[in-house]
Amino acid sequence: MIQFEQVSKVYSGGQKALLNVNFHLQKGEMAFLTGHSGAGKSTLLKLITVIERATAGKVSINGHDIAKVGVKHVPYLRRNIGMIFQNHHLLMDKSVFDNVALPLVIEGFSHGEIRKRVAAALDMVGLYGKERHIPIMLSGGEQQRVGIARAIVNKPPILLADEPTGNLDPKLSMDILRLFETFNDAGTTVLIATHDLGLIARMKYRTLTLRQGTMLGGEPSGAMTAGGV
Amino acid sequence: MSLTQSKLPLTGRIVMFFIRHLQQGTASLGELWRNPLSSFMTMAVLGVSLSLPAALQVLVKNAENITQSWNSAAEISLFINDGRSEQSIQSLISRIRVYSEVDSVSYISRSQALEEFQSLSGFGEALSYLDENPLPAVVTVTPLAKYSSPVGARQLLQKLEHEPEVNFGRLDVEWLERLQALVNLLERTVMAVGSLLMLAVVLVIGNTIRLAIMNRRTEIEIMKLVGATEAFIQRPFLYTGIWYGIIGGMLAWIIVNILVLFLDGALADLLGLYGSTISIQSLSFSELIQLVLLASFLGWLGSYLSVRQHLRKIEPS
Repeated sequence: MIQFEQVSKVYSGGQKALLNVNFHLQKGEMAFLTGHSGAGKSTLLKLITVIERATAGKVSINGHDIAKVGVKHVPYLRRNIGMIFQNHHLLMDKSVFDNVALPLVIEGFSHGEIRKRVAAALDMVGLYGKERHIPIMLSGGEQQRVGIARAIVNKPPILLADEPTGNLDPKLSMDILRLFETFNDAGTTVLIATHDLGLIARMKYRTLTLRQGTMLGGEPSGAMTAGGV
Repeated sequence: MSLTQSKLPLTGRIVMFFIRHLQQGTASLGELWRNPLSSFMTMAVLGVSLSLPAALQVLVKNAENITQSWNSAAEISLFINDGRSEQSIQSLISRIRVYSEVDSVSYISRSQALEEFQSLSGFGEALSYLDENPLPAVVTVTPLAKYSSPVGARQLLQKLEHEPEVNFGRLDVEWLERLQALVNLLERTVMAVGSLLMLAVVLVIGNTIRLAIMNRRTEIEIMKLVGATEAFIQRPFLYTGIWYGIIGGMLAWIIVNILVLFLDGALADLLGLYGSTISIQSLSFSELIQLVLLASFLGWLGSYLSVRQHLRKIEPS
């Protein structure tokens, strides 16, 4: 589903963020992406969502080389990827409903359909009944779950999470991870970037480790390399 | 899974396209309503900016009206050669009547001219000492409105002077030419000032939209992250610009009407002194529509230029 072949990313300042990264995440797989801050986790996620473009190598999503996706088509590509951020990236002056509905409104769903899907997504993350709240009224964990609901509301085949448990206590973190497992069970490909090694250790999923821009454990594809660095 | 296309069927997309336009259009108006003070300030600036060219347009229109009502000023006087018989003068008159340029013809015979001169000039006594009537017969020709412009009337005059009975013709056109030149100058001034003020409208709206874009920077980044197209993101801003234009145009119309009401009384007094009953014509309904259309176009243009320049720069990072 997500494939990196000899991918390097050098920022315009000369900073080498990624060097010859190879890995292949199968359809329906769930994996962790780990490494110290500055190891290139965020850059890797940005390459998948075309916020940045690779300097060298090939990034493919579902077999499509995304270097060939023009600027005009990037929005359509992003609709296939649900993204979850550490700082939630919510619209702070809009209600929970409006926040979660945003991808559907953009896609052009009818009002009735939007209500149905938003209700289902909020139910899934345990925020049913909080549609009218604005994010500021919610706790950090709840805000994160609003972000998750928004990421999954249009049922994307890929889910990316950048430090989704960064600000949460272990119990809440575990709840969030269980949530990702549910989506994964439903067939969604999930990639979670985190430096919370304790969390990873408790779950038996493949771990991709970045160290100073190079990847350890990327190959062999599909192998379960549970554990830490 | 198709990566680079919308997932909805085509018909659904077309229907949603219109619904979305409607929604975003009304949402933009609602947005303006939620910030009434700052929106109204912008609209007032636009209204005042647009009211000046609109007021000048009213001025030009009325100046044209008045000059048109002075058509008779383009009368041509033809002085007939001495010694022409009454019969040949009558045949001249009937010949002139069939000219396609001519509206009407009137005739003042030599004796009529003398009588008129005696009664009006005050030289009555002196004239009676003359052996014969020194005044020529005069045929007055009024051209059709189409030919009453200085150029047209002058051409007609030359044609009429070729008639054998005519000694020479006279067209008092100089002041008419001056008036027309003045009206032309006025029109040009209106165009120049109008263009500048329209540019001001575009800039004001452009700047207002720029600030709106800056204010919603995070929102725009988030929308781009979850897959909104440029068209989707820019549409509310374009509608905001159009709304500013429409409401600014209507304000301008109201301002102009108040101005006309204010001036009409004073002008009526002035014109009354000249024995004229012309009153100011304000902007008609069709001119209101034109004004609002123009203003909404300017609003769209201002926001489009702003959106093009600033929206693309905002990218998620």
